[in-house]
Amino acid sequence: MPTEHIKVDALVVGGGIAGMQTALDLGDQGYQVALVERQSSIGGKMIDLSKVFPTLDCCSCITTPKMSATAHHDNINLLTYSEIESINRNGNGFTVQVTKKPRYVREDDCTGCRSCELVCPLEVSEDEHEFGRTSHRIVYVPFSTAVPQKAVVDIDNCIFCGKCIQACPSDAIDFTQQPEPVEIETRSIVLATGFETTPIDAKKEYGAGKLRNVISGMMMERLLAPTGPYGRVLRPSDGKMPASIAYVQCAGSRDQTLGVTYCSRVCCMYAIKQAMLLSGALPLAEITIYYMDIRTFGKGYEQFYQNAKAMGVEFLKGKVARITEDADQNPIVRVELIDEFGKTRVTERQHDLVVLSVGLLPGGNPQAKFGVPVGEDGFIQVPDYNVFPAVTSQPGIFVTGTALGPMDIVDSIMMAGAAASATASYLESSNGSGKEAQSQPERSVEYA
Amino acid sequence: MPEENVNKQAQAGQNPKDEEPRIGVYVCNCGGNIGDVVKCDMVAQTLGKLPNVTVAHSNMFMCSDPGQKMIADDIKEKGINRVVIGACSIFLHEQTFRRTLERAGLNPYLYYHVGLREQVSWVHHGTPKEATEKSIRMMAAGIAKARNMKPLEPVRLPAHRHALVIGGGVAGLRSALDLARRGLQVTLVEKSHYLGGRMAQWERVFPTNEEARPLLKRLIDQVLAEPNITIHTGAQVAGAKGYVGNYTVTIRQQPRGVRGTFPNEQGVMDVCPIKQRCEFNYGLSTRKAIYRPYKECVPEGLVIDWEHCTKCGECVQVAPEGMINLEEEAHEFTVEVGAVVLATGFQPYEPFYGEMGWKEYPEVITLPQLHRLLDDEGPSDGKFYWNGHPVRNVALIHCVGSRQVEGVHRAQMDGEVNNYCSRVCCTASLSMASLIRQKAPDAKIYEIYEDIRAYGRWHEDYYTRASKNNVTFLRYYAEEIPEVRRADEKAENPLLVKVRDHLTWGEEIEIPVDLVVLSVGMMPNPVQDLMEIFKVTPGSDRFLLEVHPKLRPVETAVNGVVLAGTAQGPMNIQESCAAASAAAAKVSALIEQAKVELEPYVAHVDPDQCQGSGECVKVCPQEEAIELKTFSENGRTFQRAVVTPANCNGCGVCVSVCPNRALDVQGWRLDEYEAMVEAIAADIPAWEGAA
Ligand SMILES: Cc1cc2nc3c(=O)[nH]c(=O)nc-3n(C[C@H](O)[C@H](O)[C@H](O)COP(=O)(O)OP(=O)(O)OC[C@H]3O[C@@H](n4cnc5c(N)ncnc54)[C@H](O)[C@@H]3O)c2cc1C
Ligand SMILES: Cc1cc2nc3c(=O)[nH]c(=O)nc-3n(C[C@H](O)[C@H](O)[C@H](O)COP(=O)(O)OP(=O)(O)OC[C@H]3O[C@@H](n4cnc5c(N)ncnc54)[C@H](O)[C@@H]3O)c2cc1C
Ligand code: SF4
Ligand code: SF4
Repeated sequence: MPTEHIKVDALVVGGGIAGMQTALDLGDQGYQVALVERQSSIGGKMIDLSKVFPTLDCCSCITTPKMSATAHHDNINLLTYSEIESINRNGNGFTVQVTKKPRYVREDDCTGCRSCELVCPLEVSEDEHEFGRTSHRIVYVPFSTAVPQKAVVDIDNCIFCGKCIQACPSDAIDFTQQPEPVEIETRSIVLATGFETTPIDAKKEYGAGKLRNVISGMMMERLLAPTGPYGRVLRPSDGKMPASIAYVQCAGSRDQTLGVTYCSRVCCMYAIKQAMLLSGALPLAEITIYYMDIRTFGKGYEQFYQNAKAMGVEFLKGKVARITEDADQNPIVRVELIDEFGKTRVTERQHDLVVLSVGLLPGGNPQAKFGVPVGEDGFIQVPDYNVFPAVTSQPGIFVTGTALGPMDIVDSIMMAGAAASATASYLESSNGSGKEAQSQPERSVEYA
Repeated sequence: MPEENVNKQAQAGQNPKDEEPRIGVYVCNCGGNIGDVVKCDMVAQTLGKLPNVTVAHSNMFMCSDPGQKMIADDIKEKGINRVVIGACSIFLHEQTFRRTLERAGLNPYLYYHVGLREQVSWVHHGTPKEATEKSIRMMAAGIAKARNMKPLEPVRLPAHRHALVIGGGVAGLRSALDLARRGLQVTLVEKSHYLGGRMAQWERVFPTNEEARPLLKRLIDQVLAEPNITIHTGAQVAGAKGYVGNYTVTIRQQPRGVRGTFPNEQGVMDVCPIKQRCEFNYGLSTRKAIYRPYKECVPEGLVIDWEHCTKCGECVQVAPEGMINLEEEAHEFTVEVGAVVLATGFQPYEPFYGEMGWKEYPEVITLPQLHRLLDDEGPSDGKFYWNGHPVRNVALIHCVGSRQVEGVHRAQMDGEVNNYCSRVCCTASLSMASLIRQKAPDAKIYEIYEDIRAYGRWHEDYYTRASKNNVTFLRYYAEEIPEVRRADEKAENPLLVKVRDHLTWGEEIEIPVDLVVLSVGMMPNPVQDLMEIFKVTPGSDRFLLEVHPKLRPVETAVNGVVLAGTAQGPMNIQESCAAASAAAAKVSALIEQAKVELEPYVAHVDPDQCQGSGECVKVCPQEEAIELKTFSENGRTFQRAVVTPANCNGCGVCVSVCPNRALDVQGWRLDEYEAMVEAIAADIPAWEGAA
């Protein structure tokens, strides 16, 4: 197979909100950009969310147009379902080997009509976007707003019955597809490799993932999303509408025992957001948030918190020590109220559903692949965090979004602009071989 | 001013005059935001029956790629030549859908957007039937307009590849640097006589513990090394004319009164008889009327405080000849720029008299003052002393001037309390607690807080370190403001802080202290003048307002005017720099190509109808937007109104006064309005569920 060659000014790795926005900000300035995303659609974690704080915009309304703009931008070359294999410095730039994984569907021919999906006889129940709560066919379009809207075959589970081949009106199914090598020659790289959430089974005190009615914040996002699995909020064990819901804050963050000492920065706000959405979806439900500190620091966030309080959401300060369940699988939360002077008061409360406000862990293993150093917390470390937060110690390599540490969408988008600007500065400089080093003329600071 | 394209519509792409309108109607559910209230499929079905409507669909997310593809396919396959979309606010996705039309080969202005979310579903959620009916009516009006729409072309103008950055704090500097490196010309205007803003005043900065001034100096040096940046200190914007791409900005610069530097500057300052509060040290020390803002400030050298200088001439006597000029005058000049970055920063909250003992007791200071106090270059050379005594007990009270509650806290002049969190003060306090512990290993340190918001990368380490360092934490609720009062005369410590501590069952505790530090929050620098000049608006928190925190986080509602740093809201240095860079990226994208596009919604004169009455010229509120010009044809001379599109803001006043109905605003013509009004008032087609 001949290797496809792409030559660009900037390669953006990761198609979450940070990567998309960086690509757009660079593309809008006239630079040629390649965006490589390993999943079959761009959008990152954000596309899985329900509504987003602090504006309570529906998440799709913000994300999907950005996905579309990225895909259709004249200056952006989008490669989804692709893995970075290696990166080699080449003069002032880089040569990057990428493998396009076979979709077993020819991208150019597929129209996303889903005819194949309708006839496929098999279902698997691990749709990563529904968190194992619903299933998808073996050949399927990832989700209704995916970009690109192209089917992909889950080849490991396929029985090659060939029904999809017959059903496809544009003859796009191709079981002989092989991984395709792509070589990208680029002058700069922006890492937007994002985050992962704390695994639900990380903490044995919280049931190690075995309690059915203890779910993660991300699962609750799916339950609340209009595109979610049930279209309403039901608890997993028996499909009952929960009348009492509890949030356990800092579940996986600010926790020495897990080695995650930092604050994940978004979980206070997303818990409050979900509590507000739940008050709308289940007006009679009682909602309690167990917290250590409520960190609603952003623009408009404190008012958001005060609104939630006014809506009747109960905020209780205390560290949750343990979660167990009763015979009906109702979770029981044991809270220690924190006391500086050594006293502790312990109470136990039963709820119908408990949501762990899981934290953000580094994603994409950037150190191994891109040779950029990471901090003790695993996120990318930069030499001048305060003033040049997007500039890594590797010349020509930049970082943005949650790859730099936990941050919300607003801050990720700001960081995307910062990364685009830093990259543009570099591309215009002599190192990025944009221009010859200029002799420095006399300065004029005008004193009047 | 070039007058492009305005009269060339007929040539633009297709000529719809000979074309029957074929309207595509799309109703978006907005993932339930609209669909949960409005029966979107009913709306589409009903509208599908109207004349000229070729297709009518509803969809979960019109703005998504599949939604947009549906429109594009209809344009290409079904010959749709007008598009009406009922969805969220036009603010959010007008650009999205315009691009869709463009990609499909249709003029992007042949699209009308109806706000079914903000104007219907969000305000009528209790009454789905009426909401559906209102949606039908509003969309029917849109369809009526669409029948009359004509293709338009944006007004294209050349733009200056030159940006004005207002404010020389860390955000302004960072924006300027990025813009210059991108190849744009930059003019940086700083009100004070030194660069760096507030950051220069901090002893050190979290989360890296770097010394603030050397860090700042490195940035300033990079800015100074850029040939494309021209800096004016002591300068402010006095006025501006123009619009995106083409602003003429008047800058007024105060004189320094001192030319450059010279050896015996200290001697010169010593002879000045005037003593003033030193604002750099937040009043913890004094300075003379001829002074240096701070030791390593840039530009270096002395400057005269004109407000307090009596022109006694003492300094002139001892300074080298010609270095000081007490008669120097302010001067004004103009710059031509394409875009403006507002980086005017913040000021620390100023407590009112008696607020937790402020000004009432000298032992009550603010966090910015504490930074100066602990600074080796500060008024007490960094020793943790107050009134000549070492400080043994200190209480830092958080959230002073932030997270205020109506009815509990005193409101600002505008009647509003500061109900926002200032975001930096928690970690800034904790970082100072660490420093105090270094300087005074035995001191008792109390942090009196509501929530500890050590949210950022490495911030939590300061919290953990403080706990390990024996800092005592007490938690209060906003409703019960801690009280600071004078202790007994014989008491060892001069002040008592009374606080109801919610870490110990709401016990009321009184702690004796030597010093109280108020962790004051942030307020925006007052920029009323700039808001008026550039027509930008503040939010309810008084900080400058962005268009949308996620879609357009650094842009203001005025095209070409962007925000950077704490002028927009509380941020730390890293966040200010990120925002400043993001602002630079936006400006680059806007003017880098040396041209801009403006909306075509401007007045348009029908030369056949115009009789040159000049009524329009009289009422037009814009400068040079419409004027009478003399034409001659076949030996006859006459006057006609002529519009300069770049200066017209499309307000339409001229349309209302024209006696000959010769004027219209493009895209909002009178015949379009009339059709819309008629459609709104007309009976709507029967729809299922109406009964
Ligand atoms: C439960 C929950 C609720 C939230 N709610 C909100 C909210 O309401 N409002 C808000 O502002 N924020 C919210 N957030 C935070 C928000 O999700 C993040 O700020 C945002 O998604 C970060 O985007 P990103 O682009 O940095 O990372 P990601 O979304 O993780 O994107 C990274 C992308 O990079 C790809 N990638 C990684 N490595 C590679 C590689 N080597 N090669 C190719 N591709 C790679 C990944 O597949 C992924 O698509 C929430 C977070 C959680 C967990
Ligand atoms: C007590 C305290 C401690 C802090 N400690 C830290 C810390 O340790 N780490 C950290 O990251 N952050 C810290 N911060 C936050 C940090 O100070 C800000 O993030 C940063 O200073 C913001 O920079 P800026 O450029 O937006 O604003 P500013 O620093 O306020 O600069 C704005 C500039 O604009 C000028 N200006 C204003 N109006 C006009 C006008 N009309 N025309 C021309 N010029 C004008 C001003 O003179 C000023 O120079 C602290 C804040 C406080 C209050
Ligand atoms: S944001 Fe809130 S819940 Fe999340 S780690 Fe920080 S304090 Fe805990
Ligand atoms: S950062 Fe801390 S001290 Fe500052 S306003 Fe917010 S909660 Fe209060």
